[in-house]
Amino acid sequence: MSILMDDTTRVIVQGITGRIGSIQTKWMLEYGTKVVGGITPGKGGSIVEGVPVFDSVADAVKETGANSSVFFVPAGFVLDAFLETVDAGIRFIVVVPEHIPVADVMKMRSYAAEKGVFALGPTTPGILAPGIGKMGIMPASLFAPGRVGIISRSGTLSYEFAGLLSQIGIGQSTVVGMGADPVILRNLPDILERFEKDEGTDAVIIVGEVGGEQEEKAAGFIARQMTKPVACYIAGRYSPPGKRMGHAGAIVRGTSGTVEGKESALRAAGVTVLDSPKEVTAWAKHHKLS
Amino acid sequence: MRLHEYEALDIFEQNRIPVPRRGVAADVYEAIQIAGEIGYPVMLKAQVLVGGRGLAGGIKAAATQDELKEAAETLLASEIKGLPVRKILVCEKVEIARELYVGFTIDGYSGHPVILACTEGGVRIEETVKNEPEKVAALHFDPSFGYYPYQARGLLKLLGLKQPLISAWSDVIGRLYHVASSYEALIAEINPLVVLTNGTLLAVDAVLEVDDSALSRIRHPLPDRIDRIENVLERRGREIGVTYVDLDGDVGIIASGAGLGMVSMDIIGNNKMKPANFLETGGGITADLLYKCMDLIMMKPDLKAIFINVYGGINPIHEGAKGVVRYIKEHNVKLPIVAKALGNRQEETWEILQSGGVHVVTDTATEKAVEKLCELVGRKAG
Repeated sequence: MSILMDDTTRVIVQGITGRIGSIQTKWMLEYGTKVVGGITPGKGGSIVEGVPVFDSVADAVKETGANSSVFFVPAGFVLDAFLETVDAGIRFIVVVPEHIPVADVMKMRSYAAEKGVFALGPTTPGILAPGIGKMGIMPASLFAPGRVGIISRSGTLSYEFAGLLSQIGIGQSTVVGMGADPVILRNLPDILERFEKDEGTDAVIIVGEVGGEQEEKAAGFIARQMTKPVACYIAGRYSPPGKRMGHAGAIVRGTSGTVEGKESALRAAGVTVLDSPKEVTAWAKHHKLS
Repeated sequence: MRLHEYEALDIFEQNRIPVPRRGVAADVYEAIQIAGEIGYPVMLKAQVLVGGRGLAGGIKAAATQDELKEAAETLLASEIKGLPVRKILVCEKVEIARELYVGFTIDGYSGHPVILACTEGGVRIEETVKNEPEKVAALHFDPSFGYYPYQARGLLKLLGLKQPLISAWSDVIGRLYHVASSYEALIAEINPLVVLTNGTLLAVDAVLEVDDSALSRIRHPLPDRIDRIENVLERRGREIGVTYVDLDGDVGIIASGAGLGMVSMDIIGNNKMKPANFLETGGGITADLLYKCMDLIMMKPDLKAIFINVYGGINPIHEGAKGVVRYIKEHNVKLPIVAKALGNRQEETWEILQSGGVHVVTDTATEKAVEKLCELVGRKAG
């Protein structure tokens, strides 16, 4: 099967009338995602890609039975839209945009936790479950159905790793972009836990990068609770300290957030550390993944 | 965006955190004038946007005008960790009884603002946190409720402190929290916060780093973010809307995402070549943007090759390809260029790139594209 998305997932697109929202809606529909509605305050009643647009999330939930939402909302409006979405009873939220103030992300995260909502992002390509659908911007051609789970901080590297496996006939159960900001809405162990419990997943790949301590903390969780094989690649070994490498969270500060620190923590937890992305294919073959 | 110490001290002062008498000087004469006004002895501190300045020789004391002149000349002619010293802070030298530390930061993993207080300040704070954790107390805040003074009083009691220091220090903590929240800080730090021989507190240093994503809504005047980028190429990158990091190699890199940019650097480095830069476009690729990216990476002298690594997820890579090819044709670029471009409209993208003489690699593995790069620059892969 998959994690976080399944046959019952009914998606609304927030910011559906925007340039990115409308084109991504088309691609999500083409991939088979059940997109049941869109939200743009003030544009209720219109239709985008055959999907009805509503003024509020509550209206959309009432009319369509939506239970999941993907955001293509401008950064400055995300906090408001997020609180509205949680209040309307949506259970799973994917926040694609980047450049959301950290203070807003902390509020969103604490509200989601309080209300039991699972949220991904910000700065995420979203989630894709082959055969079920996708919420976000992942380009469908690189993915194939199968039994490997991928969690990536970077969007482009989630495509790279899925593509490397698909190219040799190994598919994915679900590919998850965890978000690349200094604060993200769900920490890495929470996503790992879903994969550990998922009967459709045999092994998991973590694609991390410099900065923060998600990977280090995940090592503790893996040592204690993971039974499935885990491989990791940590990007950024030649990143100069103190420089932000594109993502707001990708910065080595002093001795914290280095590739070496993350790799040694994960290695100690029994994770296979890949020196180069392409090694993922040998690892997958070794574990006879499909 | 990180502010200079003198800018942060001004903000701290406006928020009633006690700070030393001081002035900022761009030359020796200004420094002499400021020192004359506040009285000797004084401290001179290089104003550069990098940590570890004290250990790198960026802080000097001067008891007389002659000493000040010599120290100011030395500092203003120096570089600290590669950054030129354009200004120095001249401030009163105070009688220190004790040094403390207090800092606001964001705990990314717990998603909370945090204040750290330590009964020992000074340059080696990171070691103290690691080796003597009993001297450090951390206060996590609920991001929706923020700070209340009782929390700081409790924190300082935990460190074994007594009144009146508890009250004085918790006042400073409250004001620092106020600065941090009204400036949307990622870091706000006083190291050291000193206890003077007369028992009062003084913030003799100030660090303030503001969340770039919040700049447009902070209701206080702030310096221009782009102006202060010292590196001309990195500044140009910011102007055109991409992240550019200047490096010391000779392979120019354009990537459509941060992770892919880092992996391109990783694999090029693993093959004993050196990236000239990191460049990632984010999700805003247009023909015009990639034309400008080509122009930017070509500003670097002695470039040997160019490596382009892009995915069409949110980005229209066929548009980007047009910009690359237009640049190649207009500027008659002869350098070997390798491109890996996958995702939406990839075949169309490959055709456009090939029409400009770009070596297109259609394999998914970035390693394969780097092998091609090795071959073109006459280096054995691996």
